Amino acid sequence: MTCSLSYQEALAAYRAGADPGPLPEPMDPDRLLSAYHPDYLPGSMTTLAVGPNAGEQCQRELAELLQAEACIDEVDLAGVPVADTDVLVIGGGGAGCAAALAAAEKGARVLLATKLRLGDSNTVMAEGGIQAAIEPGDSAQKHMQDTLRAGHHAGDPALVAALVGDGPDVIRWLIRQGMQFDQTSTGDLHTRPAGGTSAPRVVHCRDYTGLEMMRVLRESVIQHRGIEVWEQHSAVELLSNESGQKCVGAVLACRTDQSLRIVRTRSVILATGGLGRLHLNGFPTSNHLGATGDGLVLAYRLGAKLSELDSFQYHPTGLVNPPLLSGKLVTEGIRAAGALLLNAQGKRFIDELQPRDIVSAAIIRECREGRGIHPSSGGVGVWLDTAGLERSQPGLLERQFPKLLARTRIAGIDPRKEPILVYPTLHYQNGGAVIDVDGATTVPGLYAAGEVAGGIHGRNRIMGNALLEIIGFGRRAGAAAALSGHDRGPKKITLEHVNRARRALALAGLPLARRAPLMLPAYTAPGKDLTFTANRAKP
Amino acid sequence: MTETTPSGPAVELTINGMAVRAEAHMTVVEAAWANGVPRVTGVGCLEGVCGSCRILLRRGKEVGVALACETLVEPGIEVLFLPPPAAPRHQYELAELSDGWDIQARFQEIFPEAARCRHCHGCVSSCPKGIVVEEGVALAVAGHFREAGEAFFECVMCELCDTACPEQIAPAHVGLFCRRITAFFHLRPPNLIHRLEEIRQDPPGGGKEKP
Repeated sequence: MTCSLSYQEALAAYRAGADPGPLPEPMDPDRLLSAYHPDYLPGSMTTLAVGPNAGEQCQRELAELLQAEACIDEVDLAGVPVADTDVLVIGGGGAGCAAALAAAEKGARVLLATKLRLGDSNTVMAEGGIQAAIEPGDSAQKHMQDTLRAGHHAGDPALVAALVGDGPDVIRWLIRQGMQFDQTSTGDLHTRPAGGTSAPRVVHCRDYTGLEMMRVLRESVIQHRGIEVWEQHSAVELLSNESGQKCVGAVLACRTDQSLRIVRTRSVILATGGLGRLHLNGFPTSNHLGATGDGLVLAYRLGAKLSELDSFQYHPTGLVNPPLLSGKLVTEGIRAAGALLLNAQGKRFIDELQPRDIVSAAIIRECREGRGIHPSSGGVGVWLDTAGLERSQPGLLERQFPKLLARTRIAGIDPRKEPILVYPTLHYQNGGAVIDVDGATTVPGLYAAGEVAGGIHGRNRIMGNALLEIIGFGRRAGAAAALSGHDRGPKKITLEHVNRARRALALAGLPLARRAPLMLPAYTAPGKDLTFTANRAKP
Repeated sequence: MTETTPSGPAVELTINGMAVRAEAHMTVVEAAWANGVPRVTGVGCLEGVCGSCRILLRRGKEVGVALACETLVEPGIEVLFLPPPAAPRHQYELAELSDGWDIQARFQEIFPEAARCRHCHGCVSSCPKGIVVEEGVALAVAGHFREAGEAFFECVMCELCDTACPEQIAPAHVGLFCRRITAFFHLRPPNLIHRLEEIRQDPPGGGKEKP
């Protein structure tokens, strides 16, 4: 039954407010996922041969980076200037800023290094909101159940309990930093439901929640006297002690003059975010430019255990059109407010507020089975019926979703008058470095917070839990790292773990030509920006 | 994906002094990448919310500023990627502003330049988000911090207005200050406070709520 349509045909056939038909009988979730979710595409997984997760399944593109050679060697460190600090935070998004602020509140000297500008991160792009169980009919227990269920019970209950327990206090902390949230007419925080939640629980600042959060945290960090910030500094490698078992610092590279710096520290917090810019399975991504999985690579080489390396989130509603915005996000909040998903025939095909993995798989099914809509610029998608939402709730888009309107205005589309074309986009890394409730990884001295950490979201994250995690666990990691014990005695800094990893690669017969972390995607053609690896003789 | 296929006539423009050719649907960022233009370090979100990819743009005799990720290539334009803005000169920590009654005085101390606006419109014409920057600053000077902050709602902190201001007012930071003190002093949501009070009286570690 193939009846896919061109964009023009489908738009001509579309009628706002037309009967979208009854929902079809839902397909068994496991069958739907294994048949259509990109994680299950043939050839997308491989088995890791070396490292703490050897023998486990891992996404192919990520495995290539985890099993790659380091960008630097001991010889590169000769004469490199050394800086000392108590806590080094790598990453300038929400998790990094929260960790830096929490560590500074405990009296630690903090250095925050980011390879872009402070605040350039996935946090600033977040739209939907942040979860906190604050409504009368809601509870931390319900929040916990929703999180574990949507994650297919792969999450660590202790971490999830910490996450949901932190919720209300995280919102208070954010307000104290000066962050605004939408309120009802009586002054309560306005809450929305989300896909997979049993109660309205997502608090938000229109559809600019991440921007509001990030500009406030960025200003807090800049204004804090105890935090030093190095922008345009990529983390090239971590440093270990003589036995290669403990993290004692990192090597940073300045992107403007290619110089290296060594930072010696009591503890390092990885807050490097995700890996959307690896474009797994060739998907577009909602992520910012720096999301190249650097933290996972650095942590893995130093021996940190990772989890769920075969599970990624493809957000159901990425824009298809225009190419300039391909893969960019349309917030789930708009489905929470009532917008429907329609195929080329104008029919509904899935409960829009199912968890994201289910909705994405259903969209891919519609398109693969010939019920998708094809724009002339290429690609395929289904309708997100924003015009139908505007018809049933006039003015809602303008009041609550200004970012969507601003974005589509540039593209010459008015979502109040026509539906928008969407297709799943690579959005989030469900797993990451294994941590405890203090954000400590399995390597002493090394902490992880935010998307780079794993164990909370299981195999699928629900909306609003990422912003909660970055603040909740960012603060936990920052406080723990600041209080972690002084290591008296000689502070030898080495690349012993790099030597160990190279031996393992050679023993496994893996090539040493590939180097990681990437720091930026290949297509940015960085020219002279980042030449220090290219200048070196290959081993 | 960002890869592109050749289609349509090429557009010729100049980026950072380099003559480049790009396809018509490309943004300035994509054109810079495709041609290997060096020293393009200020690129982040690619959707106009991180405010990093600041450019100076010359179209014939008209000169302006913009965000590169939102600017499509045009024949003959000249683009210069601008360096990141300098660190703000205005120092304050919210926790030190304990009394809301003297907030107007504190504002004048922290941002003494704000009252000296000469209405040159430099900030307004430099704003890539169409914010009424000048009005926002005037509201802040008059003590209407909530309204001033609201005027800056879509501010992405590109700080092009700060760069443009001859009086060194730092309007983006004025706007953010207004937004922050509005939340800090006035956002007291009953439903959140009620839940926090319940947790205080019956903390989760107290025996129940363990998985």
